[in-house]
Amino acid sequence: MSALLLVLLGLPFLAAVVLWVLPVPKADRLAAIVGAVVSGLVLVGSAVLWWDLLRPRSGSSTIGEQARTLPGRIHPYAETDVSWIPALGVRFHVAIDTISMPLIVLTALLVFLCCLYSLRITPRIGRMRSLIALLLVIETGVIGTFSAVDLVLFFLFFEVVLIPMWLVIDIWGDEHDPAGRRRAATTFVLMTVLGSALMLLGFLLVYRVTGTFDLEVLGQDPIRNGHGVALAAAVLIAIGLAVKMPLWPLHIWLPDAHAKAPTVGSVLLAGVLLKLGSYGLIRILLPVLPGATATIAPYLAGFSTVAIIAGSLACLAQTDLKRLIAYSSVGHMGFIGLGIATMSPEGLSGALFANIAHGVITGLLFFLAGAIKDRHDTSDLRTLGRALYARLPRLGGLLTFACLASLGLPGLAGFWGEMLVLLGAYHPADSLPRTTFLVMMVIAGLGTVLTAAYFLRLVRTLCQGDPAEYPAAAFAVDLSRIELITWAPLIALTVVLGVWPPLLLNHWNFL
Amino acid sequence: MTITWTDWQATAVPLLLALGAIAVLLIDAFWSTGTKQHKHSVISLITGGMILFCLAFVVVQRNGFKPAFCRTVVEGPAECSLVLEPLTIGLWAVLLIGGLGVVGLSTYRLLSADIPVGEYHFLLLSALVGATVLAGARDLATVVIALEVVSLPSFAMVALNRDRRGSEAAMKAFLVSVLSTAVMLFGISYLYGVTGSLYLQTIATRLPGIDPDLRRVAFAAGLFVIVGFGFKIAAVPFHGWLPDTYAGAPIEVTAFLAVVSKSAGVAGLLVLVTFGVAPSGSELRLVVAILAAVTMTVGNIAALRQQEAVRLLAWSSIGQVGFLLAPLAVGDAQAVVGYLAAYVVVTLGAFGAVAVVQRHRPGGLLSDYRGMIRSEPGLGAALVFFLVVLAGLPPGLAGLFTKFAAFQAVIDAHLGWLAVVMAVNVMIGLAVYLRWVAEIFRLPADDPFSVDIETPAVAVISACVGSAVVMSLLPSALFALVT
Repeated sequence: MSALLLVLLGLPFLAAVVLWVLPVPKADRLAAIVGAVVSGLVLVGSAVLWWDLLRPRSGSSTIGEQARTLPGRIHPYAETDVSWIPALGVRFHVAIDTISMPLIVLTALLVFLCCLYSLRITPRIGRMRSLIALLLVIETGVIGTFSAVDLVLFFLFFEVVLIPMWLVIDIWGDEHDPAGRRRAATTFVLMTVLGSALMLLGFLLVYRVTGTFDLEVLGQDPIRNGHGVALAAAVLIAIGLAVKMPLWPLHIWLPDAHAKAPTVGSVLLAGVLLKLGSYGLIRILLPVLPGATATIAPYLAGFSTVAIIAGSLACLAQTDLKRLIAYSSVGHMGFIGLGIATMSPEGLSGALFANIAHGVITGLLFFLAGAIKDRHDTSDLRTLGRALYARLPRLGGLLTFACLASLGLPGLAGFWGEMLVLLGAYHPADSLPRTTFLVMMVIAGLGTVLTAAYFLRLVRTLCQGDPAEYPAAAFAVDLSRIELITWAPLIALTVVLGVWPPLLLNHWNFL
Repeated sequence: MTITWTDWQATAVPLLLALGAIAVLLIDAFWSTGTKQHKHSVISLITGGMILFCLAFVVVQRNGFKPAFCRTVVEGPAECSLVLEPLTIGLWAVLLIGGLGVVGLSTYRLLSADIPVGEYHFLLLSALVGATVLAGARDLATVVIALEVVSLPSFAMVALNRDRRGSEAAMKAFLVSVLSTAVMLFGISYLYGVTGSLYLQTIATRLPGIDPDLRRVAFAAGLFVIVGFGFKIAAVPFHGWLPDTYAGAPIEVTAFLAVVSKSAGVAGLLVLVTFGVAPSGSELRLVVAILAAVTMTVGNIAALRQQEAVRLLAWSSIGQVGFLLAPLAVGDAQAVVGYLAAYVVVTLGAFGAVAVVQRHRPGGLLSDYRGMIRSEPGLGAALVFFLVVLAGLPPGLAGLFTKFAAFQAVIDAHLGWLAVVMAVNVMIGLAVYLRWVAEIFRLPADDPFSVDIETPAVAVISACVGSAVVMSLLPSALFALVT
C-alpha cells in the first residue's frame, strides 16, 4: 500500500506538469476534465487506502489497541522511508495513520469537487489550465503534509502550498478589486512564510536536542521536560502553526485572503489549508514535546477562547458574505485549538472531528457564497438585499442548512466536535490547571451562543424578507445541475457525520 | 623565508588559468584574418575550454590534500601558503562554475556592445586566477595579493561600457576597493605585530595565548581585516558602491561581479574566519554574525523598493550575502559552500534572463517582464524558477535546503537571535522576489512581451535550469562539495 500513497502524492503533481506542457488553447479546454479525472482517481485511491487501513486484520494487534498511547503519536502504515539528504539528517519518510487518513480523504474530496465545479463554472478571467494545475499542486502539497513523518518533509510540503495559493488569489481573485486581491494574496503568503520559518527554527531546536527529525522515533522517545530549549521549540512551532490555523491574533491574513480568493480558492483555503495548522499541532506538538506543550497549553487555550469570541463578534459586524464566513472560520478553529490545548482524549477527538466537520461545512458555505456572488456580482450583504428564499429558494434553503450545520445544530456534523471540545475542557489532562479550563469552557460555551446569533442574523438578513421589495433578478438561475452534483457529497456528509459520528470517532482512541 | 617544498598540483589550476589568460590576449592581438564573430567564438571557446579543463582537474583531485609553498617549522606542522584540500576544492568548483557561466553569458551580447573581446576574456581569466588563489590561500600576504588580483581586473571590466555611467561605476568600485585594501593591510600589520606570523595556522595557534594587554589590539586587527572583506562582498554598512556599480556595468560584468567576485570575497572571508583570525568562540565571530543580520535586513528591505531588474538583483544579492555570512559566522564551511553553489547557479541564470530581455527592452524595468509566462513561457518559467530558488521556497528546493543548512548551522551554534532575524528575512526576501514573479504571471491588456532568444542564451539558461533542478532533487550533492 505504500506504493499507493506515493501515487497519491505524485499523480496530481505529474498531471499539473502535463497540463503546463500542453499548448494553451487545448489545455484550457481540457484542464477541468483532466483535473476532475485525476483528482477523482486520487479520491478513489485515498478511499481504498483508508479502507485498507481500517480493515480488520487477522494479526493480534488492531489499530484501536495500538493507538491507546500518547496522543498524536504516529502509528505508521503504508510507510516509505528512504534517506534523502544525509548531510542534514533529512529522510523522505511518509506514512499514514487513523489521524491523517480522514484529512487526506477530505482533501481529495474537496479538490475533486473543485475540479468538478470548474467543469461548468469558471472565473471570468479564464486561464483554466493554470488554475487547475495549481489546484493539483496544492493537493500534492496538502496530502504530502498530512503524510509526512519527517519534520523537514512536513515543513517542505507545508511550503509547497504557498506559492500556488498565492497565485490563485493573485490571479483569479476578486476581479473588482485588483489592488485588494494582490494585497490579500501577499499578506497571506508572507505571514505564512514567516510562521513556517519560525516553525522550522523550532524543528531545528528539536533536532539539536534529539538528533533526529523523524516523528516515529521522536514519538517513541519524546522530549519530556517543559522548559528551556524544549519550551522555546514548542513556542516557535506553535506560533508557526497558529499562523496557518489561524489562531487569534495571528488570523489577520485570513479574512482578506478568503474573501478575495475565487470560489475554489476559498473552499480549499478554508476546507483544507487551515487544517494543516491544527493537524501539525496534534501530530508534532503533542507527541514530540508533551512537557512543553503542557506548559503552553493554558495560553493556547486562552488564545483559542479569545478567537472564538473575537471571531464571533467580528462576524456580527460583517457586511460581506464571504468575509463573514471567513471570520466564522476563526471561531471554529478556535474551538479546535481549545480542544487540542486540553490534551484530553475528548478534546482531541473533538478537535479532530471538528477539523473534518469544518472542512465539509465551510467548504459547502464557501461554495454557496461563491454561487451567490457569481449571480449578483457582489458579496456585499447590503447590495445583495434580502428575501433570498423568494428569489433563489433552493440556494437560500441550502445556505440555511449550511449555517445551521456550522452553528452546531445537534444532528448535523458541526455539533459533535464542539460538544466534545467543551467536554474536554471540563476534563483537561491531569497536568493542566482545571479551573482555568473550566473558565475557558464557559466562555467558549458563550461563543457557541454568539455563533448561533450571527448565523441566524445572516439567515434573517439574507434569506428572509418581503419578496415584493426585492424582486428576483431575471438572469439569476436557482441551483444548477453541476452545483447540485458538486455539493451533494458535502450535504450528505454533513448529515451522515451528524447522525453517526462513531464513523470517525471510533478510530481515535486516546485513552 | 625560504621555500622548501611545493606540491605543484596544488598550483595547477591558477597556473593553467593564468596561461589561458595570456593565450587569449595573444590570440586577440595577433589574429587578423576572419570576421570578428569568428574570433569571438574562438576566444570564448578557448576560455571556456580552459575553465572546463580546470573543473575536470578539480573533480579528479576532489579527495586530495596537497600543500604548496610550505616551510617546515621547528615545532608543529609545516606552514603552507596555498593548500589544496576539500574546502579549497569545493570553493574552486563554485568559482569555476561561476566563471564558466559568465563566459557563456558573454557569448551572446558582448559583440554588439562593442567590447574588446580579447581583453574581456583576459580580465575574466585573470580575476579567476586571483579567486582560485584566494580560496586556497593560507597566509595573509597571499590573501591580500590574491584579493588584488581579483579586484583589479574587475574595475577594468566595469569600465568596459565607455559612457558616463560606466566610468562612474568603475570609479566607485575602484575607490572603495583601494580603501578596503588599505584598511585590511592596516589590520594585517597589527595581526603580524601581535602574533609574529602571517600564516593563518600559526596565527590561530598563537592568538589564544597572547598577552592580555594585546588582546584588544588583536580584536581590532581582526575587525579591520573583516571590514576590508566587508567592502569587497558589500556587507552593510560597506555596501554603498554596489547598486550603482551593478547598474552601470555591462550586464555580463554585473553577473561576473555578483557571481565570481562576490564568491571570491566570501571564500576569502571563510578561509580567514575558519582557519585563523576568528577561531571558534572569538568575539569576531559575533561581529560577523551582527554583520550578517544587518546586511540581510538592509539588503532585502532596500530591494523591496526597486523598480529596475538589475537594481533589484543588486540589492537582493546584498541580502543573499547576509544569508551567506550567517553560517560563515559560526564557521560552518559546508553550509557556506552549498549556499554559494546554489546562489551562483541561479544568479547566473537570472542575469542570463535579464540580459536577454534587456537586449530588447533596454529600460530594464520590472514591468517589462509583464506577461512573460504567456509570451515567452520557457524563459518566463526559468526566471520564475531562479527567483523562487533565491527566495528559498518550493519548487526551488536548492534554495530551500541551503537556507535550511544555514539555519541549522546557526541554531547549532546557539545563536537564536540571528536565526529569528533570518526567519524574518526569509519573509522579506520572498516579498522582494514575489513582486517580480507577479509581473511575470500577470497578463497585460496590450501586446505581451516577446523576443527572439539567441541559441547561446538558450544554452546557458537551460544549463542553469538543469543544474538548479538537479540541485533541488538531490540537495545532498550541494553539501557533498565540502566533505
